[in-house]
Amino acid sequence: MSTIDRSTDLPMDGHGGGHHDEPYLSSKGSWLANVLNWAVTVDHKKIGVMYLFAVLFMFFLGGVAALALRLELLEPPRVIEGADGARRIVGQLFGADPEDVAAGNNIYNRLFSLHGIIMTFMFIVPSIPASLGNFFLPLMLGAKDVAFPRLNLLSWYIYVFGSIFGVLAIIMGGVDTGWTFYTPYSTTTDADHMRVFLIVFAAFILGFSSILTGLNFIVTVHKLRAPGMGWFDMPLFIWALYATSIIQVLATPVIGIAMMLLMLERVLHIGIFDPGMGGDPLLFQHFFWFYSHPVVYVMILPGMGIISELLAVHARKHIFGYRAIAFSSIGIAGVSFIVWGHHMFTALGELAAMLFSAMTFLVAIPTAIKVFNWIATLYKGSIVVNTPMLYALAFLFLFSIGGLTGLPLGALATDLHLHDSYFVVAHFHYVMMGGTVIAFIGGIHHWWPKMFGRMYNEKAGILGCVIVFVGFNITFFTQFILGTQGMPRRYADYVDEFQTMHVISTVGSWLIGLGFLIHLVNFIHSLLLGPKAPPNPWGGLTLEWEAESPPLEHNFHSEPLVKHGPYDFEKVVPPHCSEEDFPLPRAHGAPDPKSLTSFNG
Amino acid sequence: MMTSAISAMQAGMGAAATATPVQPLNLYHGIDGVTGRPATAFEELFFRSGGATDAAQAVDGLYMLIFWYSAAFFVLLMFLMVYWVIKYRRRPGVPAPVSPSHNTLLEIVWTVVPSSALLVIFFLGFWNYIDRQVAHGDAYELAIKAKKWSWTPVYHNGASTQWFLPTDETVDPVTGDVTKTIVDSPVIVVPEDSNIRLTMSSTDVIHSFWIPDLRIKGDVFPNRYTGYTFRTPKLEPGQPYQDHWVFCAEYCGDQHGAMAAVLRVMPSADFDQTVSGWSGALTGDKVAQVQGCFTCHSVDGTNMAGPTWLGLYGSSGTFDNAPPIDFKDENYIRESILNPNAKLVSGRAGMTSYDGLLSEAELDALVFYIRGLSDAGQKVNEELEAGGDGGEASDAETGDGESDEASGTEAAGDDAPSDAGDGESDEPADENG
Repeated sequence: MSTIDRSTDLPMDGHGGGHHDEPYLSSKGSWLANVLNWAVTVDHKKIGVMYLFAVLFMFFLGGVAALALRLELLEPPRVIEGADGARRIVGQLFGADPEDVAAGNNIYNRLFSLHGIIMTFMFIVPSIPASLGNFFLPLMLGAKDVAFPRLNLLSWYIYVFGSIFGVLAIIMGGVDTGWTFYTPYSTTTDADHMRVFLIVFAAFILGFSSILTGLNFIVTVHKLRAPGMGWFDMPLFIWALYATSIIQVLATPVIGIAMMLLMLERVLHIGIFDPGMGGDPLLFQHFFWFYSHPVVYVMILPGMGIISELLAVHARKHIFGYRAIAFSSIGIAGVSFIVWGHHMFTALGELAAMLFSAMTFLVAIPTAIKVFNWIATLYKGSIVVNTPMLYALAFLFLFSIGGLTGLPLGALATDLHLHDSYFVVAHFHYVMMGGTVIAFIGGIHHWWPKMFGRMYNEKAGILGCVIVFVGFNITFFTQFILGTQGMPRRYADYVDEFQTMHVISTVGSWLIGLGFLIHLVNFIHSLLLGPKAPPNPWGGLTLEWEAESPPLEHNFHSEPLVKHGPYDFEKVVPPHCSEEDFPLPRAHGAPDPKSLTSFNG
Repeated sequence: MMTSAISAMQAGMGAAATATPVQPLNLYHGIDGVTGRPATAFEELFFRSGGATDAAQAVDGLYMLIFWYSAAFFVLLMFLMVYWVIKYRRRPGVPAPVSPSHNTLLEIVWTVVPSSALLVIFFLGFWNYIDRQVAHGDAYELAIKAKKWSWTPVYHNGASTQWFLPTDETVDPVTGDVTKTIVDSPVIVVPEDSNIRLTMSSTDVIHSFWIPDLRIKGDVFPNRYTGYTFRTPKLEPGQPYQDHWVFCAEYCGDQHGAMAAVLRVMPSADFDQTVSGWSGALTGDKVAQVQGCFTCHSVDGTNMAGPTWLGLYGSSGTFDNAPPIDFKDENYIRESILNPNAKLVSGRAGMTSYDGLLSEAELDALVFYIRGLSDAGQKVNEELEAGGDGGEASDAETGDGESDEASGTEAAGDDAPSDAGDGESDEPADENG
């Protein structure tokens, strides 16, 4: 299908330097030369790795804030009058003055805002596309690099620049707006300070990074597929990234505009959202969710793409319903633009609420189709339960709960009760963390040998995964019950009835922390002491497994020619693998699979 | 150790209330009595008990329908997943069986079947929602004023919140020590078994008025009226009242988590008597409670977001943006309420203005209440008393000890009219002095 005229005879150039036959991680001499080389690299792999460590660092920051939040919620602050008649405030961990409940609440509010802003804008939006996407999109397409390598580097520096603004605002004392920046609270809080401006500006800047990455990926997918690779020969991870990129390019400008208007109102006091100046606070919510709902799919679609890869490879099974999964990615991207109102059911009129509710149920359908296809993929597979596969299974479990609990939130009557309660908190953590983060961690394990050329310890990986899974359910399932029982979100304080569930949830959060700590130690151990990875440890069929581990600077020895589909496990022995290890499926009376084409890279 | 709120309640409630002990903070009661149907185990888990009204139970019913539908799907999917992972686990060297990777009929079925179910859920959700959005002609109109961080109901006769949630006492079984949890949430009274139409507005940021037991909430905006209708629960025979929590569900700042209120469902006769008895009564501490002053200001010296009122009157002060003053008088207090940023106390963040939110009488009551909380202010009061109007020294009482807020409030509440009378007669004297 590819019609691009490309001569494979031309020497591959464009990376500004020799050493093209060496692994991309090989040293360039002195440490200074290495730093310089990484700082100005246009290699998508290096940019992907830098993104990977940056977003994981942000995940760590946001995670520490989350643990602190849960710790605070162990006990509600209460004003107690003791037998001696003195009034004391107990149960406040963060107040500088133990009697000062307002100061403690203020710190709590800053922490949950910090958690939300870091996790959303600096971690989860860029997480999979910018790290694993950057690294593997060109490899999976059989390309040397993305379409615009310099733009890719620019996008990385915009991300760094934006993150610095964000972290600066946090160091200066943080903001208490929440990640949603609802007006008129966000335009009036901390009125004497630049922090809110800075963090909004950071979100504004980070949007450009997101747009540029999306643009780059769209062009790369259209133009740089290897010879022989049609649209339906692409791995499903690529389809997911493609759908993601469309949303990024179309929706992100809207948040840019909203953030710009917010800054104008704060700095120049132009009344756009603040009713005190003639503005409309609800307008901001429309602007905000017009971006922030589609961006939910920017977060989850790449995770879905990863799951398609993990399940197919580790079950050694052609993915079930390839086209259904591919089209459902595009379908989700399309419908995602017309459901933003379901974040505002308690504020909208009846007609708008009804329409948005109906659209919301529409978006559930392609999501359900994906889950059915993934489960069906397991049927008659050859399934190995290693860390990536375990994470894929955990994803199916958690994401299914996350998706199904979206139903009472999409239904108007039940949403009036559950809106802005802990039920919502639990729901989107099941989707964002149980979905995206679980897929991300699974994907990192899956591609770790390829990225760094070393294996990780499988037992430690499985242990970490099990602890994260158990801890996650303890932490967040209790929050569903808190929500239905009536616990509002963003409360530093709560009535005594809710304490038991909060204690259980907090204990769960410690387990999650422990699980991730195990993964961290495992990764560091692997980088320093891990055994060398073969080029194709899992027997994958997508093009990245034809490359060396770690890949060469130019990815492939020669431009790959696509002769089989990405999931033709029943027909093709994987590259770099022997048939003893990866026998082809055989039905009774079927011809010897050796007579079929064997593909050896 | 009864507090003003309790005594006020008992006064309003009459004999029925005194016979029944005041209920502690168990706000999830009285539910099963509505229909006589006990909550199922899962309803117990999710909601503690069924919804408080028929409409709320309809929401519970829809929730449970979605729950069972989801649970069935989930269990089926997870069963298949685990079963196949075990059954088709990889054995070294053993090839997998040949299997299909596509089945059009199956894919159509698993698209159409869940879609139809989603359509049903959508319609049920919409049906119930629209039923509750429609205003009932016979509804009682209740205005709700929201601000950081308090709810103020305004009843048909212009009366406003007078009651606050009582102190909860716990006795340590070992030591016998009594500790009291102090909750200052306003009590919003409504008649039983009637339609209530809320007309809500906010004076600052967005809030959201959530009654979890009734399974409904609505956002409250600073630039428009919003509202919804609900039917209040029926009381069981002999039940003096029924309490339900109200929470703010839209994040609104430091004390967002403390922005709670209690919806108290009363017999209609009690409701009428109570609300009509409220019009006119005005005391400084009640104004302060209604306006939510105590979320930031203490009267016992505790340092909160705003300066304590204990000893405020007559003290000296330094300001960020104004020259220091030696004696904080009535006009300083008045200015600090109406135009707080005119003199910003050093080290404080400032307050939102209450200009336009207080009537002149309320403002007077508040200023004189604060004055009574300091030695200097008491001296003024004593002088005024010596002057011959023989007013109660209830304000002075409030100031003399840390634990006396409650009893002071009680005293103030008991002879509220005379206290307010004090305020009015004091004013000219202060202006002259």
